[in-house]
Amino acid sequence: MQLNHREYAGFREGITVQDVIDENKFTWPKLVVRCNGKVIWPQDYAQTVLQENDDLEVIHLLGGG
Amino acid sequence: MIHICNVERYHAPSAEELQALRESHVLLKKYDYERKPLHRGYTDKILTIDVGTKEAMIADIPAEVKEKFIGGKGYCLRYLWDAVNPQTRWDSPENEIVMSAGPIAGITQYGGTGKTLICTISPMTDIPIDSNVGGFFGPYLKFAGFDALEIRGKSDTDVVVVIDATKGTISFEEAPMEHFDAHILCEELTALYADNENDKKNIAVAAAGSAADYCNLGMLNFSFYDPRRGVTRLKQAGRGGIGRVFRNKRIKALVCKIGGVKANLNDVYDFGLINKTGLKFHREVANNDAKQNDMRGVGTAYSLRTLADYDIVPTHNFKFGDAPGIDEMTAAVFKADWLTQGAADGCWYGCSMACAKASDHFLLKTGPYKGQRVCVDGPEYESAAGLGPSCGIYNPQEVLEINFYCDTYGLDTISYGTMTAFLMECYERGILNKERTGGLDLTWGNAADDLEMMHQMARNEGFGKIAALGIHKQKEYFAKMGWGDMNEMNDFGMEQKGLEYSEYSAKESLAQQGGYGLTNKGPQHDEAWLIFMDQVNNQIPTFEDKAEALYFYPMFRTWFGLMGLCKLPWNDIVPADNALTDDPKMVPEHVENYLNLYYGVTGQKIDTKEMIRQSERVYNFQRIFNIRMGKGLRANDAIPYRSAGPVFEDEYLWREERYDTQLVELAGYTPEQVKSMSLQERMAATRKHREDQYQKLIDAVYPKRGWNMNGVPTIAHLKELGMDLPELLEIVEPLQ
Amino acid sequence: MRRLEKDESLCVGCHQCEFACAEAYYKTFDPAYACIRVEDGWENGEYRSSIHICNQCGKCAEVCNTCVIQPNPKGVYMIRKKECVGCLMCVGFCPEQVMVQSDDRLEPSKCTACGICTKVCPTGAIRIVED
Repeated sequence: MQLNHREYAGFREGITVQDVIDENKFTWPKLVVRCNGKVIWPQDYAQTVLQENDDLEVIHLLGGG
Repeated sequence: MIHICNVERYHAPSAEELQALRESHVLLKKYDYERKPLHRGYTDKILTIDVGTKEAMIADIPAEVKEKFIGGKGYCLRYLWDAVNPQTRWDSPENEIVMSAGPIAGITQYGGTGKTLICTISPMTDIPIDSNVGGFFGPYLKFAGFDALEIRGKSDTDVVVVIDATKGTISFEEAPMEHFDAHILCEELTALYADNENDKKNIAVAAAGSAADYCNLGMLNFSFYDPRRGVTRLKQAGRGGIGRVFRNKRIKALVCKIGGVKANLNDVYDFGLINKTGLKFHREVANNDAKQNDMRGVGTAYSLRTLADYDIVPTHNFKFGDAPGIDEMTAAVFKADWLTQGAADGCWYGCSMACAKASDHFLLKTGPYKGQRVCVDGPEYESAAGLGPSCGIYNPQEVLEINFYCDTYGLDTISYGTMTAFLMECYERGILNKERTGGLDLTWGNAADDLEMMHQMARNEGFGKIAALGIHKQKEYFAKMGWGDMNEMNDFGMEQKGLEYSEYSAKESLAQQGGYGLTNKGPQHDEAWLIFMDQVNNQIPTFEDKAEALYFYPMFRTWFGLMGLCKLPWNDIVPADNALTDDPKMVPEHVENYLNLYYGVTGQKIDTKEMIRQSERVYNFQRIFNIRMGKGLRANDAIPYRSAGPVFEDEYLWREERYDTQLVELAGYTPEQVKSMSLQERMAATRKHREDQYQKLIDAVYPKRGWNMNGVPTIAHLKELGMDLPELLEIVEPLQ
Repeated sequence: MRRLEKDESLCVGCHQCEFACAEAYYKTFDPAYACIRVEDGWENGEYRSSIHICNQCGKCAEVCNTCVIQPNPKGVYMIRKKECVGCLMCVGFCPEQVMVQSDDRLEPSKCTACGICTKVCPTGAIRIVED
């Protein structure tokens, strides 16, 4: 499984988008999540189970006030 | 939680106090002027004030200056260039403070449309500084008839300059009895020049503070009156020592009075388009802000806790990125215990993002105003991070008190925070000790002595005189006294070109190391904030990608400074469907809004390509201005190693696994080699790799910006931009 | 206290209230210029109508940083037009979206519980309450 175009070592069977976000401490409020190019909305993070060859992007929007 | 509905109104100066102030005023000179109203966002007039000769002159801004420099930062740099010469220093009489808002500034229907840009030759960097600020002074200057204000000369006595658009007068006055500290001075002048209580919102004041008389890191406050609280509030043009130049010219304050704000004082080209775009933005904020950054609830301080999760907070002078005590400074804590909720906190009219939060009736525990309850503006993220974790301080009360005193004393919280962190690390390493600090115990987290040092700075006493210098000059002084080794201090002193770093650790983002190092004025993140794109999203892996980003973003964000726009409404709120756009991090709908605002005000249709071109002219002009003043070449873009990697052993050990892994994955060592290397060898290998990467980055960025390998804009590029002006060619020709 | 009140079950969707309000204050029959909004239609075979009115909740006053929206003695929030800067934040944040913005005026307008709409309502779905 790819996370932001890098092989994700933490992949395991049944891992969800929410797991990836929690395990990586992606606490930034404005994330854009896409799996294989399709947008995943926040309310679906916990139910979206990832597969072996999924291409997951967790894009953090710019900060810097 | 404090709610605005139970916040008591603040005490205004009494009638007797005002009478005494009024009687103490001495009118030095007064001019009448014909106020030219705005048309399509411009008056095409510049007001030039000489505080030495007490002259006020109004001139037309030539068409070609308007065409190439647009407004805001463009006008400031153009007029500053014409006023100075390569030998001009911050305290030369011919040095000027030039301020200009920009064509869009002053509309009231869209978020963040009240910003002003200010430039001068900096006491810290000896090159032009450009600093942006909210508050009412800039837009009111436009309503008073001026696209820009240029101040030159030096007065022999403290002088207040009053621009009164209601009477059409410009006067020079002495105001001996008014206080020097901003939170009192701005209140006094607002009350003094307002016809009545309701007229106070039509007064805007620009003032520094008592410490700005002595400290290079002096800044300029812009005031705005908050009618609900009944108090004058402050925003800051913080960076680069503009307040020091202001006070060196013996200017006590500038006052601008107008007859009232209405919806279309800019006499815009398409009022309907402006209203439509603004209303769309207001509804977007109303429906989404609470679910996104909650800017209306907490302001920029929301990001402190989350940025620590990415090792970006500058803990202990940028040594570490996370911060153990940060849980005492989360958005929830600020909201629950410190920041008044439910208040309309825009720092200009029509800003529905309203992130200028305040802590009301805050009890001060130190200094000349100890025991008093005051309205503290902030903390912004930069102030919270720089005054807090960077110095090992995690108590919101202490951070707010330091923030308050920085504002009223006229000190830039970013330079003050990063400078104090440098002094604390010097103290930790024995470069400083109690004897050398005049008894101050500058260990990490000692807020009491931090505050005591600042009070000394304001009185120009004791160690305060050393703190007043800023890191660049402190390093020279400590080396001269034999207290510290210059190479070591250059490694961990977080300054470049003489300016202290703003508060993001870029160790794991090569792109942001360039975002800080390859800047015109010095390491401030307003040109580019690329940390997430690079370090987390991995969207710019190659040097080519990074170079493209370090070309595009500095130009895109310079545009805000030409127009009078605040950057936060661009991407600290996004439309609900932004994730579906092709480039969510650009927030395309907001970029479209800005093009519509520019067209709606000026009647000129431009696309993003022309937007970038407008910025590029000013950006390259400033780069050549730096070269002219002696600090615009590749050598000046070098960065302190602390901003790029671990300087000392404890830093390396803090993230040892990460650094060891990178030696294998990025620097080409085998795992076995790394295992066999000592800590010192691994640190040296890490350093060599990172410093080599930074040079490769520069090699990729300069050509992208149309510069040669020494960072000098090429003549071909200047021609392409239409900036092959004789005074520029004269500087760059011998350096091609 | 004086304000408008509604009973949606009585509404037949004739929109007279919107025309009356827009005509009275903006000399037009375009409902977009009314400080009352009626959304009606058939949903899976059933006629449904929702009436959006200003219940003088004061949100507009809360977001206004010019402080020109204040309640009069009867609790009706009024805009001091002379000093309004036309920033439109009130229009954007109104929970019922019943404030009116017009490009040929410098200030928006809001419902002042004048009752003109109640006079033309054929079924008494809207009425003025004074308590």
